[in-house]
Amino acid sequence: MLHIYCPYCEELREEEEFSYSGEAHIARPTDPEALTDAEWGDYVFFRKNPRGLHHEMWNHAAGCRRYFNATRDTQSYEIHETYKMGEKPSVTSQGAAQ
Amino acid sequence: MTSLHSPLAHVELPEAHAHAGVTLREDKFRGHLNLRGNPQDEAFTSAAEKVLGVALPTAPNSAVENDAVRVYWLCPNEWLLLVAEGAEGQTEADLRAAMEGQHIAVTDLSSGQTLINLSGENLPEVMMKSTVYDCHESNFPVGKAVQTTFAKAGATIYKCADGSYDLVIRRSFADYIFLWLKDACAEYGLAVQ
Repeated sequence: MLHIYCPYCEELREEEEFSYSGEAHIARPTDPEALTDAEWGDYVFFRKNPRGLHHEMWNHAAGCRRYFNATRDTQSYEIHETYKMGEKPSVTSQGAAQ
Repeated sequence: MTSLHSPLAHVELPEAHAHAGVTLREDKFRGHLNLRGNPQDEAFTSAAEKVLGVALPTAPNSAVENDAVRVYWLCPNEWLLLVAEGAEGQTEADLRAAMEGQHIAVTDLSSGQTLINLSGENLPEVMMKSTVYDCHESNFPVGKAVQTTFAKAGATIYKCADGSYDLVIRRSFADYIFLWLKDACAEYGLAVQ
């Protein structure tokens, strides 16, 4: 079982309390009307599927019920950090992590 | 006036055990209110304090109480208020009056939740079986309140001053949780008050 640090409860909690909610930091297009069908399809359906670091949303479903972000390694399952909504990750594939 | 029925009114009590290691008591018909608002807003926090008599707790996993109310921190902008039976309507009205014009929400959850109290010398063992949260006193001191799972159902667990636990559970899960406890406590003996 994973121990996940909830940035709102400020505690490590059991994985059982959480649910995974997909890729983080997907900005909604400001002008959806101007998009082509392909661009809209990309926004709605297509997600990164990296081998390695992945920024993703989790929901503390059985706890505070807030969404937060996590940086997880999809190979090792290691969670490098969790951070509140609206914050930027400090561990990215461009630096820091290595 | 409609009559109230406890969600555990129908349960079959366990057979009497010579030694009751765990005691279950339902604190039924308490008033449960959910309060939401911005804790950075001085007008909101002072209005809440004026009505409730205690300041809203802002530390995660904490709770405060006085004679009339227990206030649980649920998340940075959400609290659970437990008041006496029948007091929820007046408390809700007082909160709404004090916070008029503010961006807040007060929701009466009294009929959707119930409170059960667990005590007894074998309580630590039963908690270990039932919840994924670490209930050792170093991690779960008196006065702490956590929202976690109990027998895989959601519960808000509070450690009382006498070492017992208050569990706020959903009404619809009360029957299931009672059956779970009956089974989990079979080896220690369960007494129901």
